Amino acid sequence: MSPRLRVALLALSGLALLPGAAAVIAGLPPFGATIAQYGERINAIAPDARHVANMVSAINFDLRGLDTLGEEFMLLAAITGTVVLLRGHRGEGNSGRAMRRAGRALIPRSEAVVLACRIAGPLTAVFGLYVVVHATVTPGGGFQGGVILASATLLIYLGEGYAGWRDAVRSHWLDALEGGGALLFALCGLGPMLMGAAFMQNVLPLGTFRDLFSGGLMLIENLGVALAVTGGFTQLFLEFMEETRATDEPEEPGEESA
Amino acid sequence: MTVILPLLFLLAAGSGTAVVLIRDPARQIFAIAVNGLVLAILFDALQAPDVALSELAVGSAAVPLLFLVALMAVRNQPPEEKS
Amino acid sequence: MSMLPYAVAAWLFGIGLYGIATSRNFIHLVGCLGICQSATYVLLLGLGYRWGSIAPIFYDHPPGTPAVDPVMQALVLTDIVVGATLTALLLVLTIQAYKRGGSLDPEILRPMRPGGQPDRGASRADDGERTAP
Repeated sequence: MSPRLRVALLALSGLALLPGAAAVIAGLPPFGATIAQYGERINAIAPDARHVANMVSAINFDLRGLDTLGEEFMLLAAITGTVVLLRGHRGEGNSGRAMRRAGRALIPRSEAVVLACRIAGPLTAVFGLYVVVHATVTPGGGFQGGVILASATLLIYLGEGYAGWRDAVRSHWLDALEGGGALLFALCGLGPMLMGAAFMQNVLPLGTFRDLFSGGLMLIENLGVALAVTGGFTQLFLEFMEETRATDEPEEPGEESA
Repeated sequence: MTVILPLLFLLAAGSGTAVVLIRDPARQIFAIAVNGLVLAILFDALQAPDVALSELAVGSAAVPLLFLVALMAVRNQPPEEKS
Repeated sequence: MSMLPYAVAAWLFGIGLYGIATSRNFIHLVGCLGICQSATYVLLLGLGYRWGSIAPIFYDHPPGTPAVDPVMQALVLTDIVVGATLTALLLVLTIQAYKRGGSLDPEILRPMRPGGQPDRGASRADDGERTAP
């Protein structure tokens, strides 16, 4: 199909769909006028029923926890697929050490960058942990905090170089984190069944409203999500970085990296 | 608020359009990062701080980085000559 | 104003589709797909918004204060994170396609053919597996 024909086809189908889209938009409630009843009821009931201040976490980890379980395994599947595709080409044997592409220029890193990274890295990690553990109280949770924690590890790369990063971040640990997080989430669903409750029923003590330890089972599920997202995203960064360095020749282990 | 929200919506539409119209992938990455930032601000204005935090970490940091590294990987490696 | 968010969502989806249809580079195409995805975020959060409401987090405000719809936010939140990993998967497929086929251009690359060899000129018309051009 030639590009021009394709654009023409797209324009034709767009024109055909336009009246339908316009009708749907006209049928939607005006912006900002009202919200769906389901959300309204959750806002009214959940703070008392679950002792949780953050409704989004309450939905993610408790009220619609089953959906999050599905999302969790989608994450796992996507990352597994990525890693398999990247490693399948490269082989698994050499993934334990830093590779250096022959002939790439070594750019010396200024001391200001190293200092800034050594200060900002731990601070970013602490902020990520804060976001993770306050999931049920303030905005945040395992998904956001996990990504922040993963990007904190990238500051090691910026400050200490690629070899230092590879020393600090072990691929096998990341696999364990990612799979372990997903397993923890699944166990949170199966655990209550051992006690005779329903799948993913919140059987733990709920704690006090607006306290760090509130929400019962949600805290553990949140931890599982945080582990899986941290491990998964760091693994993605690691494998992508390795991909820019992989060569077909036998590599020498890089002392310093560019 | 009644002025800021429409402005942010229009800004999101504009930055999204820029991502599509910038054809050079190396430049497009910056447009993607800017789009992520605009969306994060928009979501915060829509009273969704959870989503804004997520979009800020993912859309303006992690995803552009993945694009950048993918571009580097493509530029570094000459394709295999198979048969 | 009352229809603007939905119009923006429709526009983003449409422009993303246009980008996908006309893209000459797979990395650019993945970026356009991200725009289509962001249209869904704008639509969902636009549907969940209500004027004068607070965020659905009852820490500073007592429960019972009018708040926006938390269900939409929960949907979008997980979608963003999982979508990023799917973007990574697509980028890896792009890298592999480049390695095997030697190009990032969907017009040159013919992934449906064995080996995905670049098709410069019509010299390889004897495959019998050529898809409809």
